[in-house]
Amino acid sequence: MKILGLILKNIGRNPLRSILTALGTMVLVFVVTMVWSVLWVLDLITAEKQENLKAIVTERWSIPSRLPFAYAAPISDGAVRQPGDIRPDDSMTWQFYLGSLDPKNLTRDSFIFAIACEPDKLGRIENGKFVTMMDGLESLSPKDQAALLEAIDRLKANRQGIILGYNHLANINRMTGDVRDVNIDQLMGKRIKLFGIGGYKGLDLEFEIVGVFPAGRYDNLGAFHRDYFNNALDQYPQTHGGRKHLLADRNLNLVWLKVPNMAAYNRVSAQIDQSPSFQDPAVKCETASSGMAAFLEPLRDLIWGARYVLAPACLITLSLVIANAISISVRERRPELAVMKVLGFRPAQILWLVLGESLLLGAGAGLASAALTYGVINWYFDGLRFPIGFLDRFYIPINALGWGAMIGAVAALVGSFVPAWTARSVKPAEVFAKVA
Amino acid sequence: MAETNGAIVRVRGVHKYFRRGSERLDVLQDLTLEVPEGEYLGLMGPSGSGKTTLLNLIAGLDRPSEGEVWVGGQLISAMSEAQLARWRTRNIGFIFQFYHLLPVLSAYENVELPLLLLGLSRSERRRQVMTALELVGLADRIHHRPGQLSGGQQQRVGIARAIVTDPTLIVADEPTGDLDARSAEEILNLLDELRRSLHKTILLVTHDPRAAERADRVLHLHKGQLVEQAQ
Repeated sequence: MKILGLILKNIGRNPLRSILTALGTMVLVFVVTMVWSVLWVLDLITAEKQENLKAIVTERWSIPSRLPFAYAAPISDGAVRQPGDIRPDDSMTWQFYLGSLDPKNLTRDSFIFAIACEPDKLGRIENGKFVTMMDGLESLSPKDQAALLEAIDRLKANRQGIILGYNHLANINRMTGDVRDVNIDQLMGKRIKLFGIGGYKGLDLEFEIVGVFPAGRYDNLGAFHRDYFNNALDQYPQTHGGRKHLLADRNLNLVWLKVPNMAAYNRVSAQIDQSPSFQDPAVKCETASSGMAAFLEPLRDLIWGARYVLAPACLITLSLVIANAISISVRERRPELAVMKVLGFRPAQILWLVLGESLLLGAGAGLASAALTYGVINWYFDGLRFPIGFLDRFYIPINALGWGAMIGAVAALVGSFVPAWTARSVKPAEVFAKVA
Repeated sequence: MAETNGAIVRVRGVHKYFRRGSERLDVLQDLTLEVPEGEYLGLMGPSGSGKTTLLNLIAGLDRPSEGEVWVGGQLISAMSEAQLARWRTRNIGFIFQFYHLLPVLSAYENVELPLLLLGLSRSERRRQVMTALELVGLADRIHHRPGQLSGGQQQRVGIARAIVTDPTLIVADEPTGDLDARSAEEILNLLDELRRSLHKTILLVTHDPRAAERADRVLHLHKGQLVEQAQ
C-alpha cells in the first residue's frame, strides 16, 4: 500500500507531464477503441458459428440478387426432394423495397428502405421462448420484446401495416414540421405513402405505422407484410396498361435459413445447389457469416488497414509517448533511484516501481478514455455512424472498458520497459561519484 | 562466518581499479583495514584519493577488483547485487553529503522508506520512525517535505533515515560538506550523541579537519593507499 502511495506520488511530482501523457494516452486509446469497436462487430458477424447458424440463399451470378418469388417456398423448405433430405429449422424471405416519402424532393431523409416479409419471422413466441430470424433481436429486454411482439401482432392484423426504424420515424417527424423529440405513440396509426424509386418506380404503397424496431441495428429499416407487396405487384398491370412491373418476376432478394449445425447446413446447402428447380437463375447458399464476408469484400483493404496499420500505429505511438515521459522521469530521478538502492531496494523492486508508475498512468488513462468513449458515443451520439452493409451505426461494446485499460497497460509496459531497466541498473557508486 | 577478532569491518588486500577505455585507473591499492565495533573512524584525504570508493566498498555499494571486504562477519564482497541490497537494509545506515531525501515524501515518509523493506507492521514502523526523528530533534516536522526544511534539518532527516533500521554500521560521506558552520556543528554533535547513546560504529569521510577531530581515529588516504594514522 505504501509502495502504491509512492508510485502515486511519483506520478504527481510533475503534474503537467503526467497530465499530458495521460491525455496523449486517452486520445490514442480513443482512436483504437473506435477502430476495434467496428472491427469487433464485423468479426462477430463474419465469425463462422457451429450451432444454430443461419444460411443465406441468393442469386448466384448477380448482385443485387433478384430471384423469382416462386423460389420462396422450395428454398424455405430446403429444396427437399427425397426421403432423408432435411429441412431447415426456420426460414425468412426478404423482398426489398425502396420508397420515398416525397415523390418530388428525393433526399436521403425521405427514403425508406424496407423489407417485405412474413411478420411471424420478425419475432414470435414458440414453446414459451422468443424466436426471431432477425439478427440482433434475439436478446431484447423484456420491455422491448413485448413492444415488438405487439407491433408484429398489429402487422399481422393489418396487411398495410409497417414497422419502422427509429430514424425513419424521426424523418417523418421532421417532414411533418415537428422538430422536437420523436413521439412514437403519436406516430402510431399515422398513414404514410411511399413512392417507389429506382427499380421500384411506379410501385407506390400506402402504409399505416404499427410499430417501431427496438433502437439500434434496425434504426434505418422498415418491415411490412409480404402479401401486401406481392398484391401490389400483381395489381400493377391494372393501373399501367396491362404492363407488368419490372420486378414482377424477380422480386425475391434473399432467403434466410436457420439450421441447427454445420452438418445440417452442408446437407441443406447441397440440396439447394443440386436442385434442378433453381437453374435459371441459379442460386447459391452460403453461411450468413461468409455471405457477410463476401458483402464486405469491397471494404477489405480499408478493414485490413484499420486492423493492421491504423490500430498498431496508434499502439506504437502510445508506447513511444509513454516511453518518452518515463525516460525523462527516470533520467531526472537517477540520484533518488540510487538512494533507494542504497537503502536496500532491490533491482527488481526498482524495476517494478517504475513499471508501476507507467502501468498505473497507462491503464488509468486507458480506462478513463474507454469509459468516456463508451458514454459519449453510445449515450450522447447514439452510436458511431459508419454505414457498412446492413449496419448503419456501431456502438462501443462494454468490453471496450477492458480494452482501454489493457491497451493503456500494455503500451505502458512496452514503452516503459527500457527506462525501467535503466532505472534498475542504476549504480549508486557511479551516480554519487558524478553528483559529488 | 569469519573470525572477526572484535573488528566489525575487515578490509583485506583490497584493490580497486576502473577502466576508462584502454586506460586502467587504480583507485585503491592493496588496502588493508580493520575497524573495531563502536569505533568512530574518520577518513581523510585529497579529492581522488579513494575515500568515497573505500566507503562504497564497505557499504556494499561496489565490489573490489581484488581482495575481501567483511562487515559484521559477512563476506560482502562475494554477495550478489540482490543479496547486497537486502544486507544493506539491515546493516548499513548511509548519510549523504547532499542529503538525497525523496522530494515527494514527507520527513516521516523518508525515514520510513527503508522500513518498508523489512515487513514490519504499521505501528512498529511508526514507533521506529518517531524514535529516530525524536533522536534527531525533528519529531515536530514529520509532515514537512524536504523543500520545506533547512539544509541542516534535511541532513538530520537523512541521519534519522540512516539509523531507523538500527544498522550495524553508519557510513557518512562528507555529511557536513553542504552545510554552514553552525549546522555542520549541530550535525557533528548529533553524530557524537548517536555514537554515545546507541554505541554505533561510524565511518566518516570528510575534508573538514573539525569533523575529523571528533573521530576516535583518523586515516589518511593518498593515491589509494593508507599513508598515515593519527590518534
